[in-house]
Amino acid sequence: MAVNTPAVSDRHSYRETKTTTPAAAPPHVERDPQVTRLIYAYMGFATFWLLVGTFIGEYLGIKFTMPDLEQIPWLSFGRLRPVHTNAVFWGWSSLALIGLALFVVPKTSNRRLFSPRLGWLSLVMINVAVLAGTLTLMAGINNGGGEYREYIWPVQLVFASAVIIVAYNLIRTVATRRVKEIYISNWYIVAAFLWTIVVVVIGYTPFFQTNPISHSVIQGYFMHMGVGMWFTPLALGLTYYFLPRLLNKPIYSYSLGALAFWTQMLFYTLIGAHHFVFAPVPWWIQTIAVIFSVGMLITLVAGTGNFLLTMKGSFRKVFRSYTLLFILAGILAYFFWSAQGSLEALRTLNLAWHFTNFTVAHSHLTMYGFIAFLIWGGIYALLPQLTQRAPSRFLVGTHFWLALIGLGVYSIPLMIGGTMQGLSWIAGAPFIESVITMMPFWIWRAVGGSLMFISHVVFAYNVWVMRPVTQTAQATETAAAQAGVTA
Amino acid sequence: MKNIHSNHRLLFSTILIGFIVLSVALAVGPAIWVEQNMQPIEGTSPLTELEKEGLKIYVGEGCVGCHSQQIRPLEMDSPYGRASIPADYAHHGPLGPFGPYAPGVLGTQRTGPDLADVGTRQPSDVWQYIHLYNPRAVVPDSIMPGYPWLFEVVEEAGPDDVVVPITGEYAPDEGQLVATEKAQALVAYMLALKQAPLESAEVSHE
Repeated sequence: MAVNTPAVSDRHSYRETKTTTPAAAPPHVERDPQVTRLIYAYMGFATFWLLVGTFIGEYLGIKFTMPDLEQIPWLSFGRLRPVHTNAVFWGWSSLALIGLALFVVPKTSNRRLFSPRLGWLSLVMINVAVLAGTLTLMAGINNGGGEYREYIWPVQLVFASAVIIVAYNLIRTVATRRVKEIYISNWYIVAAFLWTIVVVVIGYTPFFQTNPISHSVIQGYFMHMGVGMWFTPLALGLTYYFLPRLLNKPIYSYSLGALAFWTQMLFYTLIGAHHFVFAPVPWWIQTIAVIFSVGMLITLVAGTGNFLLTMKGSFRKVFRSYTLLFILAGILAYFFWSAQGSLEALRTLNLAWHFTNFTVAHSHLTMYGFIAFLIWGGIYALLPQLTQRAPSRFLVGTHFWLALIGLGVYSIPLMIGGTMQGLSWIAGAPFIESVITMMPFWIWRAVGGSLMFISHVVFAYNVWVMRPVTQTAQATETAAAQAGVTA
Repeated sequence: MKNIHSNHRLLFSTILIGFIVLSVALAVGPAIWVEQNMQPIEGTSPLTELEKEGLKIYVGEGCVGCHSQQIRPLEMDSPYGRASIPADYAHHGPLGPFGPYAPGVLGTQRTGPDLADVGTRQPSDVWQYIHLYNPRAVVPDSIMPGYPWLFEVVEEAGPDDVVVPITGEYAPDEGQLVATEKAQALVAYMLALKQAPLESAEVSHE
């Protein structure tokens, strides 16, 4: 009976069932070797693409300082740059977030995943898409050069179909939930899927993007929504589950979460064109974009405040756990670097920073400092629980500090250098001056990138350590655990 | 409204339909408006087949990752040419079955300089060929990659070959450097990047 009692009886006080009665955790979710293998497979492939994607990124960083390193067409900078961005977007971040969602949605719906089989199918499809996209880009075949939609449409069609399949899988899970309320995590997670399907369909529909200006209008929309309506809500939605769970207490305010959710949908959507401030796209779209970039601060404060107030009183615990430190770092990165994004849209600051390496720092501070750190927090929270194998605290700490320091060494010089780049252009210096100015900062970037990459190798080892036990071993352990409970 | 917390159909359809409405208003609508108001500047002609091939190489090699093609109405952008207007892009159409959209040439980075008017600024095809083969042969501090695979080294160039007169450190040890059709197409495209003069020098966004 206890098993089927809704874990989420009141939306204002979502609690992990574990807090009251450890045995009440639904076993069909917690200890399902089939689902565990599925989720672990997502993490394994995500880690693979993280290693591939960031190795390529690091290599690109080195090329800034050594342009004649080699002259192989498949490895040239222009072709590899989108390979890096797309591999870490669609291979690493997306697979990891989807994998975590495949656990969190059933868990907070208090039922089993609707179809593990469909889960495997989407995993295969996403891997096929990223692999095919990587190879076609390296061969010099792309979609026209709009950032993050460089994969040609047949490739992205496979990816989009996989997203639709996962969306169906998750919605069916929520629809047949054994709790009354839909937990806030599932608002964010399911919304991310619905929004992204719309974004990809619009981004890849040709008939209203036949000239570079209309194409840019859609590009501003696509790149912006790709980040903010896919990665952001997925990462936030997962954090609405993992943070309360790790702290063993409910989220501070459900209403703040809902406010952040609806303003995210409204304001964030309105600001896509800020990537083309001063560009020859309609001026009124840019003005709306700039205004609502400031409105986004409401969303940011509501979201971040909610997480930090949940942590309030538990910071001692936070600082003792690298898993929680990953989440804390991710939340702070969400606040500061999204706010930085809003600032970048202001016309005066845009003047100095647009087109410079400052924007490269920004995209890494967000996609890495915010998204990747929250993913890591989620993985370190979930996998040991699923597989009963935890990595050593020392190696998780090594991963954390190398990634954090690496990101700092990567992005601070790029922000300083990027500002100098912009000021050099404003001063009217010859263009090549800005290239010469950047050189020492590019060397620092390569150093920071190396630290980040090493941290990923450590992470990959930790993922390996957390692999699922074999079925016989698991049976023994489960038996032992049950014996323990009865005793 | 409270119902939305427990009714997944209501919640998810609000999320989906709300977002579609916003997307149409803020992205699809304006894009269609731009499509309908796109007119080439009088006196300009479409890209030739060769130039179009060049544009494909420009996009395929990822030139857009480092070079913008949009000159903002700002003093700091004035070295590149006059401020870009939408009509400047009227001749950049879709590229083929795998790219049924206009190419994203506006760009978001200036690791290298803007190219919207490069054909005016650097009209020499010889300079462009040498620069493409190895940028450091003409700009010592450049960090742009070379594109040697767009060229061939032959012992003796034929009468129809486009010989690139490169000398010094970066020249091939022996033989002559010849531009392939791809290099010719790419350079033809870049030389076609010339801003057409406007009747009124004042460009306003209002």
